[in-house]
Amino acid sequence: MSEQRHVTIVMIEDDEGHARLIERNIRRAGISNEIRHFMDGASALHYLENDDAGPALNGPALVLLDLNLPDMSGTDILARVKSDDRLKRTPVVVLTTTDDKVEIQRCYDLGANVYITKPVNYESFADAIRQLGLFLSVIQVPDVEAKG
Amino acid sequence: MTAARKLLAIRSERAFNTVVVGIVALGFLTLVAVAAYGLSVMRENLIFTRWVAHTYEVKGAISDFLINDERTETARRGYLLSRDDLFSNSVATTSTRLDRTLLTIQQLTVDNAIQQANVAQMRTLVAQQQRAIAVSMAFARGGHSDSSEFYHDTGVEATRAIRRLAEQMTQEENHKLKIRNAGQQATFDQLIRVSVAAGGLLILLAFGSVWVILRYTRQLNRSQRELAQLNEGLEEQVMTRTADLQRANDEIQRFAYIVSHDLRSPLVNVMGFTAELEAAAKPLGVLLERAETEAPGIVTEDARTAIRIDLPESIGFIRTSTQKMDRLINAILQLSRQGRRVLTPEPLDMGGVLRGVADNLAHRASELGASIDIDPDLPGVVSDRLALEQIFSNLVENALKYLKPGRPGHIEVGGAKVGGRVVYRVTDNGRGIDPKDHDRIFDLFRRAGAQDQPGEGIGLAHVRALAYRLGGTVTCESILDQGATFRVSLPARLEPARLGPEGFSS
Repeated sequence: MSEQRHVTIVMIEDDEGHARLIERNIRRAGISNEIRHFMDGASALHYLENDDAGPALNGPALVLLDLNLPDMSGTDILARVKSDDRLKRTPVVVLTTTDDKVEIQRCYDLGANVYITKPVNYESFADAIRQLGLFLSVIQVPDVEAKG
Repeated sequence: MTAARKLLAIRSERAFNTVVVGIVALGFLTLVAVAAYGLSVMRENLIFTRWVAHTYEVKGAISDFLINDERTETARRGYLLSRDDLFSNSVATTSTRLDRTLLTIQQLTVDNAIQQANVAQMRTLVAQQQRAIAVSMAFARGGHSDSSEFYHDTGVEATRAIRRLAEQMTQEENHKLKIRNAGQQATFDQLIRVSVAAGGLLILLAFGSVWVILRYTRQLNRSQRELAQLNEGLEEQVMTRTADLQRANDEIQRFAYIVSHDLRSPLVNVMGFTAELEAAAKPLGVLLERAETEAPGIVTEDARTAIRIDLPESIGFIRTSTQKMDRLINAILQLSRQGRRVLTPEPLDMGGVLRGVADNLAHRASELGASIDIDPDLPGVVSDRLALEQIFSNLVENALKYLKPGRPGHIEVGGAKVGGRVVYRVTDNGRGIDPKDHDRIFDLFRRAGAQDQPGEGIGLAHVRALAYRLGGTVTCESILDQGATFRVSLPARLEPARLGPEGFSS
């Protein structure tokens, strides 16, 4: 568990409400990792690629990605992350309302690690996030830059 | 070329064609008239020729007559000189011949009054001559040879008169011959003129006809080419329009899909935070209970009402509303998905399909005490199985849902082939639908009658959308309180052109 503390959860979600609900439910699942929330694609990419604390330059991270963003498509971000040598091993969990088969296939083709459709029903939603939290607590995230 | 100009060109073309055809027809008519005229002229010519021949015949007869007359005279003289009986016999035969030829002339010139008169006169003269001959010969037989008697013989006079008359008659015939020859020549000339005219006309007509035929052929070729081009253009146009329609349809489907998705996003928040509120209300309730027992003084009536009544009630309303909204959005999503599903037509045993539908609803039907009868001879159809299952399960389910309370439900499914289409009907004896609602019930989220059954007004909209996609229609016939009949008319064979866009799945 101590290792997981270093993993930053990068949440790219334009809906503040969703972000808040996701965060609350992750916390309820007992995950206490730092959660960095970005409302648009550009600033999220900037963090991922250039920030000192970001996964490209520093410690391990996990990306929670919504596909419907105001400035760019979530699939574009996914493609950018997965084609970047420094970022391609960073797990990406697509968490979005879209349940279009084609869209799901496309995300996996682009290298998404998990695709979750946000259930509209809140109970299912909370349940899904909590299960995601449990999942996050057991997965191993690669350490991009060996840290002391 | 604009349509108006084209029309004008076609009209002038038609007028021209009419004129050309008229001229050619007129030419042929003239040719026929000329031929008829030529025939008549020929006949006339023939008549003239016959008359000329006739005149020659008459002339021949006259000269014959004259020769015989001369012979008679010669024979008489011979007799008078030689008293040889050979001559008297000759007189007798030539006399008879004379009479015969005269008769012939009379018969030949029966149409000519002048010649008839001449013949009559001739006959008297011949009689006179014969008499004179007889007298002179009898005289000679008696032994007289007085030539003076002979000179005073009236026979000589008669013979001269006969010659003169015969000359006259020949003249008469010559005159006739001249007229008839002239006539013959005239008709012959006329015939040549007519022939030349007919020949010219024929050549003209031939040229005209060839020209018209060439012109028509060229026109035909041109219009065939134009038609072929037009056909190509038409196909292209149809393809463009179809593509446009397809695009518009896809656009609507995409729109419905995006809208429903984007509506879901805020709904997640509303529902999520409502749940959070509810969760937050629980510790508040506990707090209120503790405050009531430990420090009742601080509990106000307002706080109690707010926590115990207002908060749960508000949350309840928000919940039911959002749940309903969720169902509506899901319905739109489902419809849009249905529109994007690729149809797979296959030959279907509709009896089997309907029995499957009825089996799925059998439990509900037995609960309600309703019976479902399916015609064992339902006509088959080539269509999409899933779509038809959805259509009929919606219709039968509706029939079960809206039965008339107190009347045992009876649902009948039948069908018939009508031309290239198959019409299925689902009839119930339920509560029926007011005729003013017969169109409305097929609209999304619209319902009719007493709202005592759960539902969002989606089923029939779904049925209609599916029927349209299958190239069919759905109609309702009903009298309030007496049941309803829903008819689904489908093409017997679903055309591949009606299938959704290839490779477009949801």
